[in-house]
Amino acid sequence: MELLAQVLVGGVLLGGLYALMALGLALVWGVLNIVNLSHGALIMLGAYATYYLFTGTGLDPFAALPITAIVLFVIGWLIQRGILNLVIRGPMFNTLLITFGIEVILTYLAQLLFSADFRAINPPYAGNNFRVLGITIPLMQVLAFAIAIGLTVAMWLFLLHTRVGRGIRAASQNLVAARLYGVNPRSIYALTFGIGSALAGVAGGLYGTVSQINPYIGGPLTAKSFAIAIIGGLENPLGVIVGGLVLGIVESLTALYAGSTYRDVASFGVLILVLILRPTGLLGRTT
Amino acid sequence: MATPARTPAAAGNILEVRNLTKRFAGLVAVNDVTFDLRRGEILGLIGPNGAGKTTLVGMINGTIEPTSGDIVFDGHSVLGVPAYRRAHMGIGRTFQVMKPFPGLTVLENAAVGARFGAAGGIKDMRRAQDRARECLEFVGLGRRIDQRADALGGPDRKRLELAKALSMKPTLLLLDEVMAGLNHVEIEEVIEDIRKVRDQGISILVIEHVMKAITSLSDRVFVLHHGEKILEGPTEEVLRDPRVVEAYLGKKRTKS
Amino acid sequence: MPGKEGLTLFFPEKMAERVLTPVETRAGSAKRTIVFVIVLIVVAALAALPWYGNSVLVQFGISVLLLATLAQGWNIIGGYTGYASFGNSVFYGLGAYGVAIAMVQFKLPFWIGMIAGLVLAVVFAAALGAAVLRLRGHYFAIATLALAFIMTAIVSNVEIAGSNIGLVLPLLKSDVLFYELALGLLVLATMTVWWLANSRFGLGLISIRENEEGAAVMGVNTTLYKTLAFMLSAAFTGLAGGIYAYYITFIDPVGVFDVGLNVKMIIMAVFGGPGTVLGPVVGALILSTISEVLATKVTSIASMFFGIVIVIAVVFMPRGIADVLRRAGRSPLRYFVDNVRTHRL
Repeated sequence: MELLAQVLVGGVLLGGLYALMALGLALVWGVLNIVNLSHGALIMLGAYATYYLFTGTGLDPFAALPITAIVLFVIGWLIQRGILNLVIRGPMFNTLLITFGIEVILTYLAQLLFSADFRAINPPYAGNNFRVLGITIPLMQVLAFAIAIGLTVAMWLFLLHTRVGRGIRAASQNLVAARLYGVNPRSIYALTFGIGSALAGVAGGLYGTVSQINPYIGGPLTAKSFAIAIIGGLENPLGVIVGGLVLGIVESLTALYAGSTYRDVASFGVLILVLILRPTGLLGRTT
Repeated sequence: MATPARTPAAAGNILEVRNLTKRFAGLVAVNDVTFDLRRGEILGLIGPNGAGKTTLVGMINGTIEPTSGDIVFDGHSVLGVPAYRRAHMGIGRTFQVMKPFPGLTVLENAAVGARFGAAGGIKDMRRAQDRARECLEFVGLGRRIDQRADALGGPDRKRLELAKALSMKPTLLLLDEVMAGLNHVEIEEVIEDIRKVRDQGISILVIEHVMKAITSLSDRVFVLHHGEKILEGPTEEVLRDPRVVEAYLGKKRTKS
Repeated sequence: MPGKEGLTLFFPEKMAERVLTPVETRAGSAKRTIVFVIVLIVVAALAALPWYGNSVLVQFGISVLLLATLAQGWNIIGGYTGYASFGNSVFYGLGAYGVAIAMVQFKLPFWIGMIAGLVLAVVFAAALGAAVLRLRGHYFAIATLALAFIMTAIVSNVEIAGSNIGLVLPLLKSDVLFYELALGLLVLATMTVWWLANSRFGLGLISIRENEEGAAVMGVNTTLYKTLAFMLSAAFTGLAGGIYAYYITFIDPVGVFDVGLNVKMIIMAVFGGPGTVLGPVVGALILSTISEVLATKVTSIASMFFGIVIVIAVVFMPRGIADVLRRAGRSPLRYFVDNVRTHRL
C-alpha cells in the first residue's frame, strides 16, 4: 500500500513535468496547425542550454531557466520566421515532414557540438529528499513539478487575459479575423512558435534535473508530448495537465506492476486508445 | 443486392422517408420528417439556412447516421447500409460544399463515378471513360476534361459536381444547391440539364434557394423549417402558403 | 461495339455532339513506350551488375534496392492513398523477425521464413488497419508512430524473438543472391504500383487520397480499399525486411523496428515524387548515393544531410523530383520560387 502511494506520488510529480513538455507542442498545434516533430529536439536543446549554463557559469539550474527560455525563444522564432512560414500554407504532410527534418538537423548538430555522452544536471542539493506521511519525495522532482504547473497555469492566464494572448487565440480561430484585429500573422506565428520553443526549453531544463540527457532524447519526447496533448485535448490549455498526469501515473503504475520495459508500451497504448475512442481528448467535446 | 421483395406500396415510390430524426449533441437538426419521392418525379425541398436540408440528404445517401426513423430506397430499408453501398444501389448526390478530387483532372473526377457508381460501376476502363466524358459534355465541361479540378472556376466546379453524380448512373439523384452562385444564363442551362436527366427516368430531390428553379422544375415541394416538415404539396400551392412566406421568404424580405 | 448502347441510351441527344478524343493522345502513348523500353534496359543492366561491378558496388546495390522497395511500399499507402504511415517500419521488423525466428528457432529454410514474415506483416496490417485507418491526417501519422515505439518495446520482451539481445542468423555468403532477390522484389513492387496507377483499384485509392468522403459517396468502399492498400504496402515492406535479416545475419528490436528507417522511406518517396510510379525509386537512388558519399567523410554530417534534404525539398519542390521534371523544364528558377510563393504565409 505504501509502495503504491509512493509510486502514485512519483507519477503525479512526473506528470506535472510532462504537462509542461506538451504545453508548447499543444500551443503550436492549436494556433499554427503544425504538429511540430522537432518539439522533442527543442526540449533536448533546452536541457543542454541549462546544463552548460550550470556547469559553465555555476549558475543554479533553476535560476538558469529564464536564460534557457530566452535562448530557445530566439531559436524557435528564427525557425518559424526563416523556414516554417515558407511552407505553412502547404499540405499538412509537408509541415509534418519539414519539422521532422529540423529535428534531424538539431539532433545531429547537438551530437557534433555536445557529443553523444549522457549528461545530468546535478546541483549540490540534487539528492535531497523529504518525507510526508511515510512517503519519500525527492526535492528536485517537487521543484520541477511546481515550476511546470506554475508555468502551465501562467500560460493559460496569459492567453486569456493579455492583449498578445488574445491575439494568439484570435489567430488560432481565424487568420482573416485576426488580421482585422490588427494582428500580423507572420509575427504572431513566429511569436507563438517562439513561446512554444521557450516552454520546451524550460521543460528540457527541468527534465535534465530529474533525468539523464543525450542528443537522442527528442524523438520519444515528441511522441510523448503528442500523446499528452491528445489525451488532454487541444481545446483547453489546461488539458495538458490532465494529459500529463494521466500519462505520468500510467507509466509509474506500469513500471511497478509490469516492469519498466513496458512503460512506453503503456503510454503509447493509452495514446492509441484515446485516438481511437475519443479523438477530441478526454476533456474535448463529443460530437 | 438481394432480389427485390417489394411491398405493394413501394411500387410507385423510389424513396420513402419515415419519421426521420437526427440529433447532434442535444440539438435536433431533423425532427420526425416523413415524405415520399415517386419514381420519375422531381421533388423540391426548400427551407431557410440551417433548416436541416443538407443533414436530411446526408442521411439519405448514408454519410450521416440518423438517430431514429427509417429510409426505404427501392423497396429496401437502407438503414445502416454504408454510403458506398447506397451509391451502388443507385443513390447519387452532389454537395453544397463541393467535394471534387482537387489534384485529378476533370475527366478522372467523373471517371471515379463511372467506375465505382451504380451496381459497382463499369469495370472496363475505356467504357467508363467514355461514360465520364459523356456526362462532362452533357453539363458543358467537354472542353475542360484535361484540366485539374482545382483549376476550375466556381460555376465549372458546380457543373463538375453534377457530372460526377451523373457519371455514377444513379436512379435517385440528390441535388444540394447545384445552382448557388450561378448567373441567370447558367441557371437556365442547369435547369434544362436537370429536366433532361429526369426524362431519362431518374428521380430527383432538388434542394434550392433559387426559386425559379423550384417553380420550373418541381412536381411537388416540401418545406423544412427548424428541422420539421411544415408543408408538402403541389409547387404553386406550397409557395403561396402564408406559413412558407413567413418561415422562409418573409425572413429574407425583412433582412434585405 | 457491344455495351456502347447502354451508355448512349442514357444521353442519346448527346451522341451527335460527342467529340471523339482518344483515351491517350498518340504522343502520350509513344512516350510511354520509350519510358518502358528505357526501364527494361535499366533493369537488365541492374540485373547484370554483379558480373561487371565489384563487391562494394553490389553491397551498396543491395542497400539501395531494399530502400527503394521500402519507399515504393510506402508509396502505396502514403503516396497513392494519402495516409502518411509512420508504422511501415513495423512491417519491416515483422518481416525480418519472421525470417529470423523461422531460421534460428525452428531451423526452417529461408523461403519459409519469408512466407512467415510476409504473413505476419500482412495480418498485422489488416488488424492494425481496422483500428487506425479511421484516423486522418496528423492523427493517423502519430498513431502509427506510437505503434512503432510500442513494437520495439514489445518485441524486446518476447523470448522467441531473442528479447532485447536479438537473433543471429546462419551466414550465407552470397551477395549476388541477395542482390538479385532485392532487385526482383523492387521490380515486383514497382510493377504493382504501375498497375495501381492504371487500374480501377488504384483510382479508388487515389480518390480516397483526394477526398475520402467524396470517394465514399461515389461508390468507393473506402474502408476495404484503405485496408487493402495498407496490406499491400506491408507485404513489400515485410519481404524487404526478410531479405535484410538473412543478408545482415543479425537483427535486434531497436535495429529493425527503427522509426528512423520509416522516415527514410518517406523522405525517399516524397523526394522522388509520392503518388508516381518511378519517383520513389529515383528518390531512393539519388539520396542513398549522396548519403553514401557523405558517410565516407563524416558520419554525423551524413545523418544531418537527410534533415537538410527534407527541409530544402519541402520548401522548394514539395511535389518531388517527378514534378520538377514534368514542370520546371522551361524556367527552373521560376518553378522553385512559385512553389515557395504558393505555400508561404
